[in-house]
Parts: sequence; C-alpha cells; structure tokens
Amino acid sequence: MSPDTVAILGFVALFALMLLRVPVGMAMGLVGVVGYSYLVGGGPALKQVGLTSMRTVTDYNFGVIPMFLLMGAFVSASGVSRELFRAANTVVGHLRGGLGIATVVACGGFAAISGSSVATAATFSSVAYPEMRRYGYPQSFATGVIAAGGTLGAMLPPSTVLAVYGLITQQDIGRLFIAGVLPGILAMAMYVATVALIGVLRPSFLPRGEASGWREMLLGLRDVWAPLVLFIFVIGGLYGGLFTPTEAGGVGAGGAFVLGVLRGRLSRADIRGSLLQATRTAAAVFTVLIGALLFGYFLTVTEVPQKVTLFLTGLGLGRYGVLALIMVMYLALGCLMDAMAMIILTVPIIFPVVTQLGFDPVWFGVIIVMTVELGLIHPPVGMNVFVIKSVVRDVSFATIFLGVLPFVATDILRLVILIAIPEIALYLPSRM
Amino acid sequence: MDRFIDAIEMVAAIFVGIVAADIFVSVLLRYFFSLAIPDGYDFGRLLLGILIFWGIAATSYRGTHITVDLVWSAVGPRLQRAIDVFATSVLLFVVTVQTYTLFDKVRDTYEAHVGTFDLNLPNWPFFAVAWAGDVSAVLLIAIRTYRLIFHPESLGRAVVVKPVE
Repeated sequence: MSPDTVAILGFVALFALMLLRVPVGMAMGLVGVVGYSYLVGGGPALKQVGLTSMRTVTDYNFGVIPMFLLMGAFVSASGVSRELFRAANTVVGHLRGGLGIATVVACGGFAAISGSSVATAATFSSVAYPEMRRYGYPQSFATGVIAAGGTLGAMLPPSTVLAVYGLITQQDIGRLFIAGVLPGILAMAMYVATVALIGVLRPSFLPRGEASGWREMLLGLRDVWAPLVLFIFVIGGLYGGLFTPTEAGGVGAGGAFVLGVLRGRLSRADIRGSLLQATRTAAAVFTVLIGALLFGYFLTVTEVPQKVTLFLTGLGLGRYGVLALIMVMYLALGCLMDAMAMIILTVPIIFPVVTQLGFDPVWFGVIIVMTVELGLIHPPVGMNVFVIKSVVRDVSFATIFLGVLPFVATDILRLVILIAIPEIALYLPSRM
Repeated sequence: MDRFIDAIEMVAAIFVGIVAADIFVSVLLRYFFSLAIPDGYDFGRLLLGILIFWGIAATSYRGTHITVDLVWSAVGPRLQRAIDVFATSVLLFVVTVQTYTLFDKVRDTYEAHVGTFDLNLPNWPFFAVAWAGDVSAVLLIAIRTYRLIFHPESLGRAVVVKPVE
C-alpha cells in the first residue's frame, strides 16, 4: 500500500475507534503506532512509544497544565463563584437584565481563574440560575447566558485549551495566554451588550433587580479581592517575564492554597478534592497529548500535513477563503467532539497550512480556540448545554439552545472582528 | 477494591501537591533570597512523570478519559455496554504495550547512569516509580474489563461531565 492509502485507512480507523468510545489519546496512539510500524518498522515504532510517553510526562514545560488546573481547583473550592456573582450583582443588578450582566461578568472572572469552560457552566448553573429564575427571567435566557458565559474560560488566561495548542505547535504559552486577554475582555463586553440589547428590545423579558447601597458594594468587593489579586499577580508576572508559564501555574496554585487556608475557605476535604480533580483532568489531557505525539510521527512519515497544505493552498480561494474553510470545518467537527479533542487531532495537520498562508501562529491560536468554543454551545452537541441540562433538570435542550442563539450570533460577529483586526489579539504579546 | 483505587488516586494527587509546592517554594526562594532548591527543576519534572502515570491508572479505571460519546449516548443500554467492553479492551491492549515499552526506557536510563543536574541523583528510580503507575493502570483496566463483562452493576455509571476544556 502507498503511504497515501495508509494515511486514509489510518484516519478511517481513528474515527471508527473514537466513535466506539476508545479514549481519544489511546485511539490516536494506537493508529499512529500501527501506521508507523507498517511504513517504517515495528521495532522503531515500539521504541517511540516508550520514549515519547516518558519524555512527555517528564517535560517541565508540560507541567503548566496540572499547575493551572490545581490553581483553578483551589480557587473554585474556596467558593469564589458565589462571591463573584454577588459582587457583580451589587454593582449591576439594578439594571434591566442586570442579573444576566452579573452572570457574564462573574463567569468571566471565574473562568479566568479556573480555565475551564465546562466547569464554569456547571458552577453557574447552580449559582446564578436560581437567582435569575427568582426574578422571573425566562428559562431560555437564564440558561443561554450561563452557557455562553462559560465559554469565556477558554479565552481568558490561563486557558487549558490555549496551553495545549501552545504545546502542540511549540508556541510560547505565556504569549498565547496574554494574547487571549483582550479578545476575552471583548467577548465579555459583547455578551454584556447582547444582554443589554435583549433588555431594550424585550423589556418585560428581563426585569430589574434590587439596587444595592455603597456598603453592600464594598462588602461584595471585599469578598473577591484575594482571588483578583492572585490572578493579576500570576498573569502580571507572566506578562512581565517574572515567571515561566509552569512557574506561574505553580505560584498560582501555591498562592490559591495559602489564601484559601488563611481565609478559612479550604477544608481538608476541599484540599483533597482539589488535588484529585487536578490529577484526574491532568491525566486525561496528558493521555491525549501522548497519543497526539505518537500520531504525529505517523503524519510525518505519510506527509499528510504537507499534502493538505498543498491541496488547500492550491484551491485558489485566497488566504481568507482557506481560513474560512478551516473554520467551517471546525464548526462541523464541533457537532462530533469536544474542543480539546478537536484541537489535538486537527492542529498538527492544519497548523502548517496556516503558517504557509502567513497567518500569525499566536493569533491563529486565539481564533481557533474561539471557534472550537462555539462548538460548546451550538447545536446539536454543545457540551456546555449538556452540562447545564445535567444541573438544571426542568429545562429542555431546545429551550437552552434557543437562549444561546443570540450569543452564538455575537460570537460569530466577534470572530469577524478579530479576523479583521488581528491587533486585538497581538497587541499585548507584542509588548512582552 | 475501591479503597485500593482511592489509594492509587491519592498517591497521584499527593504528587501534584508536591510538584506545586516545589515550584512555589523555588520561585519564592529565587526572588526573595536569591537561593535555589538543588535539583528543584529536575525534581519537578520527574515527579510530574510519576503523578501523570499514577493519575492515568485511576483515570482509566474510573472511565474519565476524553472520549467521543456521540454514538454511545444515542444507543440503548445493551449496546452501550458492548461499546464500553470494546473500548476498555482496546485501552487495556494499548496501555499494556505502553507499559512493556516503558520498561525498556527505565532499563536504558539505569544502564546509561542518567543523573539529575545538580546532585547527580540517578533518574531511574523516578522512572521506575512512574512505570509502576503504568503497571497499576494495566491491572486496574483488566479489573475494569472483567467487571464490565461479568459484573457491570459494580462499576455504576461513568462520570458524564469531563471538565477538561
């Protein structure tokens, strides 16, 4: 068989295994090693398994993932989600749609610290949803704004998905994190504008909440100062070159632990739970990373990335036409798999195309993460929607997807803005 | 059995804490006292290897790997069980091969006398402990496969939410 035929069979086998629920990393590793064995030889292929596995798990740079996961777990266990929501609500709760705006702002703050979209959606389903319903917000809006707010986790630093993109493409993770800051703030601002617009167009839809006095506002801010200072210190240190990304994660985790214990917010059970949660997620991500690297050797010997590059650049669509095609592909894949799997499976193939077309790799990281995050809320899969449904049981999928629609439109508009003005993502990294 | 699995998971979790503490203290010492923990960098990365392999053991048993659940969630319980048995069998095969090849890596490191940068401590004991995590993974996945086939009720439902992305 020719390498092309082996490559095609490899992809067919990979998708078949993944659809049969074989863990994504294991499926990639198995197909990669079998394909490499066929083309190069069994001995070298098996040698690569041991070498790649050990090299990946003992790479200091890869430590960024468990460290930021641990920081997020400690901060989450400290009960910061409720405090962020309460603080935001004291400031904007009296506005029309104020509880929706408070949800977006609190989701952004929580997502920035936890780095997880799904965890943000799950947390705010129990924190913000009951409050919005108490004030008579419709189910569709209340669940839609939480699903959308959850996606901020992948954009605002520290983002696990951006870190994995950086590890696969060998881009500076610190620059990637910083590149996500302005697009993340833009995302929050556009979600807030969307809520405000819905409030103007359908005034009866989003009633006003109670106004808070200065004292309540100050009390609200007092509860959230510690995680905010920690976040600014960690990301500021990264931006200022004080820490490497792995060190920033370690300092963040250590800082979150110390603050949580000193403020009496972390019990022994919380600490144990946080350590376990970080371990489980890190192990799952590393399994996929090892599989992706093994699959990468197979891609190299079959020259798939070069052939895909030649094919796409030869279509005569122009660089933005090819980019649009890639993004449509990601949106379609979003119906099949989650963001992490999509990034790890496709970026090694797509990345050479993007660099060949002259796009900035850091900017593309932001664009692609933003695109795959759309997959978390658009039908028919929408992981965030499933998560909300698992917490809020009395709401239908159709209702949540209906509520998400205005935010999907906002996301698409934001993508267009970021493609038209790449400086939004690239300005801060250029100042590092 | 559950207590044994909890213990394995706790071993990995403790190593996460140790790695975080190592990095946190290293940074504090560097900025406030211009000091460095000898081999702090090497300890960090070697312990990372241990925590990941022991973590993979627990993750494999709990069924919380990143998976595509599209087909699985659309079929009935009998087919779901068949898919789970197939997926776990493939997982068992892959991790067994990985464990076998990792042993070579541990042996090579031992024979090459690879040491840490500052203290020249041998790397192979760290690699061996990490490898032991992979051996545990093989055992736990074999138990999971057996239970899926003969006692599926003992496993309960796999965790649905995987807060990775």
